[in-house]
Amino acid sequence: MQACVGEPVSWLRLEQVAAGARDAAADAHLATCPACRACLDDIRGDVVALPPLPALAPRRAWWRLAIPALGALAVAAAILLLIRPAPESPRDVVPRDDVATVKGVGEVVVGTVRERAGAITDDAPTFRAGDRWKVVVTCPPAASAWLDVAVVDAAATAPDYPLAAVRVACGNRVVVPGAFELTGARANRVCAIATAGAPPPRGSLPATGAACVTIRPE
Amino acid sequence: MSADSAASAYRAYGPALVRKAERVLRSRQDAVDVVHALFVDLIPKWKPEMDLPYLYRAVTNRCLNALRDRGTRARLLEREGAAPAPGRVRLDDQVVGVGLIAQLADRLDEAHLEVLVCRFVDDMTQDEIATQLGVSRKTIGKRLDRIRDEVVALRGAA
Repeated sequence: MQACVGEPVSWLRLEQVAAGARDAAADAHLATCPACRACLDDIRGDVVALPPLPALAPRRAWWRLAIPALGALAVAAAILLLIRPAPESPRDVVPRDDVATVKGVGEVVVGTVRERAGAITDDAPTFRAGDRWKVVVTCPPAASAWLDVAVVDAAATAPDYPLAAVRVACGNRVVVPGAFELTGARANRVCAIATAGAPPPRGSLPATGAACVTIRPE
Repeated sequence: MSADSAASAYRAYGPALVRKAERVLRSRQDAVDVVHALFVDLIPKWKPEMDLPYLYRAVTNRCLNALRDRGTRARLLEREGAAPAPGRVRLDDQVVGVGLIAQLADRLDEAHLEVLVCRFVDDMTQDEIATQLGVSRKTIGKRLDRIRDEVVALRGAA
């Protein structure tokens, strides 16, 4: 931890400077104060994964909703009585690469957050040199899991592990601590490997328990 | 329209607000939750004047509410030792952690706690705090005096 040489530039002003605001007094202080400059660098280098906001519809009186809803229900019930679909067979369900079912944890869904020159994109499908990536995982809120992040280059035989394995409390888009970059000219698979009891073993991707997304170079 | 504006502000200011909440709560996940909940509540009543300073103040109040909640407070205090230290300190001031804010939350009212966070967590000058809260600098000075008295009293009682 460093000490500011005088009166620090407040965090609010540092955020505004980082966002591009012009502040001559702040610039003058930053030129002479390594502590405040380091704080500004921290802001610029930080990646925050924000969960999406819910889509809210404007409020309407309940009876305005109820009348069309009851009508639609009546029509749907009539159709169901006439046409009964065959039960879904397990073969009809297409397995998703970004979802893994882990014993003791439940369903684990992997996602990503890409930071490119300050712009944050959730689940971006492509990468460029200099992008910073974080992994987010969704799993049943009552559970906890060990998570390890593996990155597999399309031509590589063994995965890289850019982050330390970590135990997390499950929830919606839980952020795995740390960030990494993707390099090379080939597609990369970014996988979250989850286990219940102990850190996942490294060396090769497990047959089950790895949820992956593929990110391609631009 | 209000939802679109709120979503734009969430993308633009959300990361700054999360970092601010994290400095109070010393937990990134709790900070994300605070900021997300704030925007969910603001969507229906979004106004163009809700800029970064306004939202900064709203996040301060949300964080103080979280610290007043006994369950949340116990969890945050338990984790405080493992949380990263702040990036810098003033030469003449101590580091104010979540533990001290939580203790002072029982002894100070909302107005004083807001000044405490602005000064010792957000590193604002007295002039900036006065502008942010819409009160005179003299009032800010008086509130800081009271805060220092309470810190001394806490230390004496310990």
